[in-house]
Amino acid sequence: MIKKLLSKQETKHQLKSSHEYSQASFTWVISLTLTVILLLNSFDFTGGTIKPWVFTAFAVYALFTIIQIIITLLIRRDLRSQGEIRRSTRILGYIQLLSIVTGNLFTVTFGFNLIKKQKPPEYTIAVYMLLTQLFVIAVSALNLFKPYVSNTFLPAMATLLIMAIIQLVALILVARYVKTNYAHPRMIWLAFPIILTAVTGNIFALVLGINLLAKIRKNGNPAMTRWGDVWVKLTANQTAMSGLFFVVFLFCLSVSSLFTFDYSIAIDNNYSAILQPPSLAYPFGTDNFGRDLFSRIVFGARISLIVGFASTAIPVIIGGVLGAISGYYGRHTDNIIMRLLDVLYAIPGILLAIAIIAAFGANTVNLILALSVGAIPTYARTMRANVLLVSTFEYVDAARAFGSSNFSIIFKHIVPNSLAPMIVKSTLTIGAAVISTSSLSYLGLGVEPHIPEWGNILKIGSTYLETHSYLAIYPGLAIIALVLSFNFLGDGLRDALDPKLD
Amino acid sequence: MGGTEAARPNRLISSISSTYSKILLNPSYRYLLLLLGAPVNLVVFLFYLVQRKKDDYAAAENRIRSEMLAAGYLEALRTEIMEQQKRKHGFFKQKVNEGQLRQEVDKIVQARFQEVLKERTGKELKLNQQKRLTMADTFGSLIENPLFFIISLIPGLLMYILIFLYSNPYLKYILERLVMTVFVIFGVAVLVFTILHLSPFNPAANILGETATPEQIAAFNKMHGLDQGYLTQLWNNIKGIAYFDLGKSFSGNEEITSSIARKFPITLTLTVISLIIAIAIALPIGIISATRPNSFFDYTFMFVALLGLSIPNFWQGLIFILNFSIKLQWLPATFNPENWLSMIMPVIVLGTGLTASVARMTRSSTLEVINEDYMITARAKGLGKRTILMKHAVRNAIIPIITVIGLQFGGMLGGSAVTEKVFNISGIGSYIVDKQFIPDIPAIMGGVVYTAITISLVNVIIDILYAFFDPRIRSKMKQY
Repeated sequence: MIKKLLSKQETKHQLKSSHEYSQASFTWVISLTLTVILLLNSFDFTGGTIKPWVFTAFAVYALFTIIQIIITLLIRRDLRSQGEIRRSTRILGYIQLLSIVTGNLFTVTFGFNLIKKQKPPEYTIAVYMLLTQLFVIAVSALNLFKPYVSNTFLPAMATLLIMAIIQLVALILVARYVKTNYAHPRMIWLAFPIILTAVTGNIFALVLGINLLAKIRKNGNPAMTRWGDVWVKLTANQTAMSGLFFVVFLFCLSVSSLFTFDYSIAIDNNYSAILQPPSLAYPFGTDNFGRDLFSRIVFGARISLIVGFASTAIPVIIGGVLGAISGYYGRHTDNIIMRLLDVLYAIPGILLAIAIIAAFGANTVNLILALSVGAIPTYARTMRANVLLVSTFEYVDAARAFGSSNFSIIFKHIVPNSLAPMIVKSTLTIGAAVISTSSLSYLGLGVEPHIPEWGNILKIGSTYLETHSYLAIYPGLAIIALVLSFNFLGDGLRDALDPKLD
Repeated sequence: MGGTEAARPNRLISSISSTYSKILLNPSYRYLLLLLGAPVNLVVFLFYLVQRKKDDYAAAENRIRSEMLAAGYLEALRTEIMEQQKRKHGFFKQKVNEGQLRQEVDKIVQARFQEVLKERTGKELKLNQQKRLTMADTFGSLIENPLFFIISLIPGLLMYILIFLYSNPYLKYILERLVMTVFVIFGVAVLVFTILHLSPFNPAANILGETATPEQIAAFNKMHGLDQGYLTQLWNNIKGIAYFDLGKSFSGNEEITSSIARKFPITLTLTVISLIIAIAIALPIGIISATRPNSFFDYTFMFVALLGLSIPNFWQGLIFILNFSIKLQWLPATFNPENWLSMIMPVIVLGTGLTASVARMTRSSTLEVINEDYMITARAKGLGKRTILMKHAVRNAIIPIITVIGLQFGGMLGGSAVTEKVFNISGIGSYIVDKQFIPDIPAIMGGVVYTAITISLVNVIIDILYAFFDPRIRSKMKQY
């Protein structure tokens, strides 16, 4: 009886501690959800007909979901009977790699994770780097169905493809020659071309290159740097990596769209194609001026990312400096700064932004400033709380005993050691900034109405809600996906950096 | 019986005099006390001056001074200091003439002499167990006389109120918090007015149109006081906010405060209803997730919560209208105060973000306390699961949750502008948005500042509630 109980406990523990098993369960749940969504969308409820294209997509998704469930059950059996996953089960991961044609990120990454037993963070980063590149190429290739493409389309696509090949080679080499604590010294010749491919905005490439260089430099040294440690924890977190993937994907797409997308399709009126339903030439349909909604959303990503990052970076810097000064000097300085910031804190962010925009007019720069001002106090409070903690540590006393100036103590010793909560907080609030941007644009108080921004697109879409609801649905989904990604990434970073947040 | 009755006024008086002396030691309250009870304090000060002359301290000081002078201490000190100064100037190669040197030495000698005198007198008094008379002592001896207390009650009423407030830590905390709030609200009014005043737009030209003559514009500016200086306008606006009279709006010829008073309750009702519903949903979800961490329930709930945080209010509103009003025709698409069905969608849309963040906060703060030692103790005592959860876990986890609710309430009140626009609700948010195109300075200012006042008051109430909910905060407050 006791033996049975013990073995039951043990299996439970084995199942829980197996990284592959939890990822497999997560993947089949998500994949099944996507499949069901596709199934629901493949029926036209009013007409009682089936949309053939969506139904085909559903069938393919269902196939890979079934494979995923089988693999999950096999992993469960292996773990129960032998305590580890068999080689034959791992080989099934190659089947899931094929699901890349469906664009199902979750099954693909699961496949990559399953086929390799020992996974250094570089391997996972390399996988995501390659996937980002392929997704960008696939999305850009949709332009082929358009009546015309931009002049730089062909060379840009060729460049993207060459980069993808370099990255594929890099992935294979990394999988072979990089171990948890060791990287082959010759990989240094790989790191530089990889970093070069980051010009398309593929941040994964940059991170991979830096990580490789760092690993080669400290080869054989088992010490863990903070940077390396964070990446080990982050790459093990599937949701955080999916969030990071989507953010990097949008960023990369925004950069590549300068060359692969034609801006005129997004902004020029085309009265021969007004309010077209989704088709291959217009994947999300067209709006009341005949502008391609898909291109508009792609160009809108750029605005959302710029406004989101800028209106987070400005208050992080200003609030961070004010909070650091206030926490370090204390007493009257602290009192004056924090009481003044209390005034800002008492006004809700959106109302303050509305007041500022009412005074100075609606445009992108004013929008960024208006959103930044309201966010200063929160960052100042976070920074101050951390500085209060860090300035009691011994190394600060040591620096003071060496005769460092207050300025250098604050910015060389205290601030770098109190950045972790700021990073986590800012990641979580970029999402809120994206929502505020589109909300204000929807009210007519944000980005100028002629610029394709997600809020502006939605504003037009909301007037066609009854007849052409897709005009309002797709930009909304884009906003949710981006905000959700930032939230996932922020949660993952919080777990990886583990700051004591209030 | 007689003894206790006599003891009661005595205790009151001794508590008054001890609080008086405590306040005199507090750097910021001291001036307030002296100012509020100026007539009484003046009398006390005169008594103090008179009594000090025949004080033990004065006598002892005089005695010691003459002793020190007799011992030739002053001369010895002077030669010593002279020597030191000469050596110092020699070292720094400074040229100082005789008169200047003598002046310097005299100054230092006097200071040093006083210092030593004070120190020795203090030591002497301590030896004889005597005390130097202070202003608080004089007050204490005076107030023991009931006649003085009764006479001083009228001129010193404000001072006695301050003493009463200071003697009770809760009252003191509440008072300080309210004073802070008044300053913050004043700051908000100044800030918002300054922002709107700096605006490059010209409301007169916007309202009267391009054809307006300069005379018409000047008349408009005169009517709304826009021709006055910055400070005058600022003062008028702040006065208007305090007296609930902001004048007429630039366009539409309506009383601003009365239209705000008409619109504000609508927003507040919607916000409060969705707040209550959100808390009723979020707390159980958060607790259930925390009791089964990493289970299927937990993952699903937390994913839904994160989704709720990521949905823009206006998009959610549009999708609701599309599905429930246009396709299914269950609920009306626009808000109407008489029809409660039309409240459902706005309330849900407003409450989604709050529900999500409260559920997340409840989960994380319950998870934090659930592994504490006292939880194991409670389980070891054999308490039921329910009791442990409700009395030991949730009560300890509730403080950060209340903080989040307070913060989110402000966000909800401010963010309601978007939801109100979607559902066509004539609340305060859509009022501000409508007015901003002109820009109608007093109307925007009134809307923003009254919202900020509401939020500040709610936060004050929450801060005060902490003290009643949490014994830890109460005891900390008493020490301070």
